[in-house]
Amino acid sequence: MIALIVLLAGGGAYFGLHQGGGDASLRTTEELDPQIYYNNANSLRGNTYKMDVEIDSALGNSATKGRLFSVLLKKDAKGGNSAPEILPVLLPPDLGSLTIQKGQHYIMKVKVIENGLLKVEEATKP
Amino acid sequence: MKNSKRFCLLSLLIGCAAAVNIQAQQQGGAPSDNANTVHETGQQYKQGNPLTSASDNTIIGRSGQGAANLGVQKAILNSKINSFIAFFNNPMAGTQFEQFLNAPPETSEAAERYRSNISKIMDLLAPPASKANQDAAYALLPKASEFESDANICTTIHDAVYAAANSRVEIARLTELNDQLEKQRKIAEYNNLLASRDRPLQQTVTDKNDVANNNANQQLERQARMEPTKRELASVGQTIEHNKMQIATAEGRAKFQFQSLILQLFVQRRYQHVIIANRFYRALFDDGDQSLESFQQMADKLGYNKQAGQAKLVAEGNPNVAGAVGSGGGGAHGVGASTGTNGSGASVGNNNDGGGDGSALSMSGLQFGIQNVSVESLMNAVSSGMKTASRTFKSLSQLDGIANEIIRDVNEGVKSYKFLLSQNEIEAATAQLVSAWSKGQYLPSVQLLTQDEKRKSLKFAQLVNKLVNSGQSGNIDALSSAVAEMKKEAADFDDTEILSNIQGVKLASSMHIAQARVAASKGDLQTVQTEITRAAGIWPNNPDLQTFSSDMTKVSQEADPMVHARTEFDQLYEQKSYRQIFEGIDKYAVAVGTDTSTNSATRLNNLNQVKKRMQDIETSIMRSQEIARRGDYAGAWEGLEVTFTQYPDDQKLGQMRADLTTQAADFVHDIREAKSYEEKKEYGSALAWYLRSQSRYPMSDLSKQGIERVVKQLLPDAN
Repeated sequence: MIALIVLLAGGGAYFGLHQGGGDASLRTTEELDPQIYYNNANSLRGNTYKMDVEIDSALGNSATKGRLFSVLLKKDAKGGNSAPEILPVLLPPDLGSLTIQKGQHYIMKVKVIENGLLKVEEATKP
Repeated sequence: MKNSKRFCLLSLLIGCAAAVNIQAQQQGGAPSDNANTVHETGQQYKQGNPLTSASDNTIIGRSGQGAANLGVQKAILNSKINSFIAFFNNPMAGTQFEQFLNAPPETSEAAERYRSNISKIMDLLAPPASKANQDAAYALLPKASEFESDANICTTIHDAVYAAANSRVEIARLTELNDQLEKQRKIAEYNNLLASRDRPLQQTVTDKNDVANNNANQQLERQARMEPTKRELASVGQTIEHNKMQIATAEGRAKFQFQSLILQLFVQRRYQHVIIANRFYRALFDDGDQSLESFQQMADKLGYNKQAGQAKLVAEGNPNVAGAVGSGGGGAHGVGASTGTNGSGASVGNNNDGGGDGSALSMSGLQFGIQNVSVESLMNAVSSGMKTASRTFKSLSQLDGIANEIIRDVNEGVKSYKFLLSQNEIEAATAQLVSAWSKGQYLPSVQLLTQDEKRKSLKFAQLVNKLVNSGQSGNIDALSSAVAEMKKEAADFDDTEILSNIQGVKLASSMHIAQARVAASKGDLQTVQTEITRAAGIWPNNPDLQTFSSDMTKVSQEADPMVHARTEFDQLYEQKSYRQIFEGIDKYAVAVGTDTSTNSATRLNNLNQVKKRMQDIETSIMRSQEIARRGDYAGAWEGLEVTFTQYPDDQKLGQMRADLTTQAADFVHDIREAKSYEEKKEYGSALAWYLRSQSRYPMSDLSKQGIERVVKQLLPDAN
């Protein structure tokens, strides 16, 4: 019985991770402050943040580097700023299986890499 | 001693008579000093004499040229290079002297015979001359007169001697007649005496009344007896007195005519003839040293009308000028009488200027070279001349001595000439020759000079003529050239003063040009016109005139609106003041369009560039203004920003862009941030800012283009 419970728990965890990007890790990840990012993205380099975004548009697609999208931060994500906060994110090729379309709502875990670009590490639909 | 003094005076006057006369003529009516003339002229215009026509320019030019001429003439005359230059300043004197220099020597057989006859006549008349010698000399006179150069003077002397001799015969006849009449008068006086004596009474007196009647009858009878004798006595007395008057008149006339002839010959420089005539006179009349008294008395009797004529006025106005009066008429040398200043030091001199025909002082046909032709003034001139001559020469022996002295002096002068010529001192030699020639043109020593001996002086004389002509023409360059040529030809020619004066004239001309430049800088065209005309009048070939003319042409061209516009266009283009060009584009387009210079293509290209530039800017501005009117400040700014990137130096564009920046501050800020990061190759941040700016103004081309660029950088292989 115990072995069954452990198996079920492990199977659930595995399913969760593979479907949404791991809710457990997103829960502990800090949300990106867009003003800080705009003003000095370099200072955030190497950090990982969580973003609640809506897919805006595809900016480019590279077989080697991945896909580039513009995403619109949800207003309630950080205090509800009046100005629309739109940011570029790069979905690396290893997330190529992820279907991205305009208007989709995602919670993304991003890492600030060189050039101030936001590289998506995880993306889950809420 | 007294004679020597008089000779010096006479020589001086003879030598310089022409020069004085010429100089006087030149100075007549002209200002006495060049500097004064220029000064006065300058004052005239300085005081604002308006110039309004070409005739004024002519006047100014003539004034300047006149001043220059006067200056140059003064330079010549004042230069101490010898009086013969002034002598040459007279065309007739210069021409005659040149004729002499060109003439061959008088060595023909006729000339030799003539000189032999003259010499023989003088020898025969040499005191004490016998009656036979006098007759022989008298007989030779017509033969001597056959030679052309004698000009029939020997015949004139012959006739004068004959006339004088005739008068002597007439005087003798009248004297003899008077002797006879005296005898008749004595007889008549005696008869008259006898007739006056009382006769014895033919009737005795008886009473007192008879006595009275008797006395009355006797008185009547005496008167009747004396009447014929008285009449005869009176008649004889009158005849005697009449004859005495005729004797006195005939003698005086004969002496006067002969004396006049001698004086005339003297002033004609026929000194040998003077001596011949003088010796005949002494043979005919026994006057001694008082022999010229008749002439003097005759001269003193001639009146002088103070109110008449210009002769006196001229004399008073300018004594030097008035003093030189020459015989009128053409021909060879004439007679002139020269009076000195204030009438003192009067003398008879030869006048090379007038050239009369030897009629002077002959009581008939004497004409002095005075301008006034009225009878009164002419008589005044005759009177003055005769009085002057009579005061100068008191006796014929004095005249004889002076003539001999002049002959000797001329002979010495010819010797000096030859010596100086051998020393190659051309100027001094020529001066000696001029002096000898002017005093003794007809003397053998002068006439026997060969053409070779006169050759160098001829060349020098021609140069002097050229110098004088150059001076009179006012052509400073020609004058300078003539002076240089003279200096080259005659090393002893002193050109210092002439060159100094020429330099002064040139300097004066250049000063006028300098004043014209000053006036031009002030825009005073009136003064420019005046000064340039004056400068050209003084020195027509002044190189500064050409320079000034070129400068003025340049200035006038610059004053051309088209030229001015082209120059202005070039300057504005150089300064990148394109908007200023655009504001005057019509003017510059015409100017550049009519440009035919070598820069025309470049100018046209520059103009087209400016046109395109300004059209872009203005179109952008207008479009932005329109967009801004719709409230789309970001769009308006973006439109300007694109144009501003292309033309960042247009102030109007920059100003409007700055204004719109405040209207669309967020958008502008986003764009600038994006560009800043893009430049720093922080493409992620740049893309974020571009996306942000696009979100503010979705129509933004700058944002769109920026996004495309950055994405290209991030995903080079993006499809």
